[in-house]
Amino acid sequence: MYQDLTPEKISLREWSRQFRMVGDSEIRQFKYYNNDEWGIYLSPPATFMVYGSRQLKKLKFDNSLAALRLWGFTFNESERLFRARQSGKRIIAAMGDLGTVPVIALAFPDCIPFYPDCTWWTPFFNESTVLLDKASELGTPEASCFVRSTLAAFHKMAYFPKPDILFASTGASCDDYSCIMQMVEDMGYELNWLEIPFRRQRRSLHVPEEHTVAESGFEYPKRFETYLVDEYKRVWQKMEALTGTGDLEDLNASIEKNNRIRRLVNEIKDLTQTAAVAPFPALEMMIIEFGNLYGYADIDEWLDILKMIKQTIADRVEKGIGVLASDAVPLAWVTPTADPLLLNIVEDLGGRIVATEYVINQALTTIEEGIEPFHALARSFMNASLIGSTEERVRQIARGVDSGKIAGVIITNMLGCSHCAMETRLIEEKLKNVPVLAIDIPAPLGITAQLRTRITAFIEMLR
Amino acid sequence: MNDMLTSRERFGLLVIDEQPDRCNIMPLITSHAATVKGMKLRDYYTNGENMARAQIATVEKYEHDAISIFSEVGIIAEAMGSEFEYPENDLPILRTPVLEKKDIEEIKLPSPRADGRLPVYLEAIEYAYAALGDRIPILAYIPAPFTTAMMLSDPNKFLIQTIREPSRVESIVDRSLAAAIELCYHVIDAGGLPIIVDPLASSSVVSPKTYRQYALPSERKLVDFLHRYDLDIILHICGDTSPILDLLPQTRADLISIDQVNMQQAIDKLSSRVRIIGNYDTSRLAFSTPEDIEAEVRYMVEGALHAKKGYIAATGCEVPIKAPEKNVVAFIDTVKEVGWYWV
Repeated sequence: MYQDLTPEKISLREWSRQFRMVGDSEIRQFKYYNNDEWGIYLSPPATFMVYGSRQLKKLKFDNSLAALRLWGFTFNESERLFRARQSGKRIIAAMGDLGTVPVIALAFPDCIPFYPDCTWWTPFFNESTVLLDKASELGTPEASCFVRSTLAAFHKMAYFPKPDILFASTGASCDDYSCIMQMVEDMGYELNWLEIPFRRQRRSLHVPEEHTVAESGFEYPKRFETYLVDEYKRVWQKMEALTGTGDLEDLNASIEKNNRIRRLVNEIKDLTQTAAVAPFPALEMMIIEFGNLYGYADIDEWLDILKMIKQTIADRVEKGIGVLASDAVPLAWVTPTADPLLLNIVEDLGGRIVATEYVINQALTTIEEGIEPFHALARSFMNASLIGSTEERVRQIARGVDSGKIAGVIITNMLGCSHCAMETRLIEEKLKNVPVLAIDIPAPLGITAQLRTRITAFIEMLR
Repeated sequence: MNDMLTSRERFGLLVIDEQPDRCNIMPLITSHAATVKGMKLRDYYTNGENMARAQIATVEKYEHDAISIFSEVGIIAEAMGSEFEYPENDLPILRTPVLEKKDIEEIKLPSPRADGRLPVYLEAIEYAYAALGDRIPILAYIPAPFTTAMMLSDPNKFLIQTIREPSRVESIVDRSLAAAIELCYHVIDAGGLPIIVDPLASSSVVSPKTYRQYALPSERKLVDFLHRYDLDIILHICGDTSPILDLLPQTRADLISIDQVNMQQAIDKLSSRVRIIGNYDTSRLAFSTPEDIEAEVRYMVEGALHAKKGYIAATGCEVPIKAPEKNVVAFIDTVKEVGWYWV
């Protein structure tokens, strides 16, 4: 039986050496969709590097079996979606809302939701301009967000199968992404749009109306819940039409299952962020957080992986061991980085991520149980950080700063991402009590020595 | 029609049982790349950067779907102690097999980063991967244990030993398997997808009984090892493999590359279990005309395109070093004309 070694971050080659100690029976033990023929996924990073994920040669990985399972599972997602289709499951593309539509889709039998938007990481993991170049050929301007790689993926149909149904959000959503989805629609895909309202705060110029407060402290007009309930019911009806079935008890069950994941991830985050020594690396933690969106296309297996990760982290915390030095500088990370390498670099240079604001709050907060399910989903969604004012976002980040656990804040700003372009500066200005480093994420392979120097200087200054 | 996918995307779909835009085109363009680049063969197979640059130039010229890092099947045997001559404009020639000088127990396992020309191969893989690894599979040819075993020995003696001294042959093959596995570790970390080549296990060389006794078990062990990595493994055996077609799935290879075999027979026997690669006659590529090649390749592809588990259009063996470039172009262009799935 494989035994975890002393925790550390190791290279792809080191993982390959360590993989020799993993037994065949352990490899066969983990599988998605419970399939023995093609569902086995416990491979070292080298496997995915051989198939084109070139950045894996540069990344460092946690050396636990749980982390190996995490990487194998997430990197297998593209194949998993195709296998899902081959085995008769329905593929549900949810886009832009980041966390709610999949909860509805998972209430229907043999339906596999996923986010095509997440293709924005592919050019970075592959260190490749293939998708970005194709997106340009298809008409997206170069100065648009990396999410434009999604358009190329829809065109190529080599990264995920053609979805059976597509739901796309508009309104208070990422505007670049919204434009990309319109171009996907122009390709002939039938999109089912749902609109996200802008979360208005109470202001004197507004017509007086009842307001309420979301779990994360954001205030909003109560009638937005009713509005979103109607939007989600439209999603439900479309799913009923697609599958010929629909039972609200199944939606309650889906909420319950998604909550299990959300609670588990919150527990993992708490353990990791509050331990004396960082027990798990920031890159793996980002992948864990984003799993809340849809469970990487096999939510049951994902739940099992999270349990294993939590156990690994809990063991390390109990022993007081981890993957970073005990004097690593505690940082908050605002807006997810498109380039995963950056998380590695910040840790290598002495930083430690103890708080994150990856604009997916709506997928991190638990959904109320025991109330009408669409209403619960609507209330949960109003925790989203991207649908309100920058001021609200700043306040939320500032709460972490004021708690004293954060020495500095890193904000990543995506090339061409229009809301980033405005918001990063505003956050930088308004966060008064803490040093802030704003980083423009360059195109794949674009991390320069100069950028490393800026991060080094920032961490040294904090120290 | 224009390609919609990169070679990497195309191969990726094939190995998960999805039809790509068109069938993959992977003629076994190995040392022919030196000709395309205008390079002396010795400069090709003794320098990894040269080998990679020649392969890259060849892919840019022909626009086929794989880079093939390979020159000849003696590389592991050489790293284990067999001695080869390096003619300036020919492939290495086995001069002194190591077992003529040492006992099997004395033969060391090679270190792929240090011994023989294995570092050349690894350098070639790394160079090609860094240059094009996001767009095209980098196939790294690994001599199978049985073939390496014969390159460690005097081939004639070895063939006699397969009958008279089976335990000795088994120990040589086992040693060769260990060396192949060690090489594979490094090939994978360099970014190469191992493709197992076992030309000396061909029915043109040994009997089906010998194949079943020695070659097949070692091929299967190597495939099993590579399956630990969840890699999709190609097995190529040159020459006539008709007598052992039924045995090939037992290797558990995911893709079988055939040479002098009736394609329809191969499809009938194999295509529900493995993907088929093949099998245009390389002598035709050397000596025929583009017009004849077009007609013959069209016939081949139309017959094999819809093989149940998938098909890769390829030559049956290595593209001859001096094959006329216009003939190779004719082969590839014809597949690109008739090999479409997405219409």
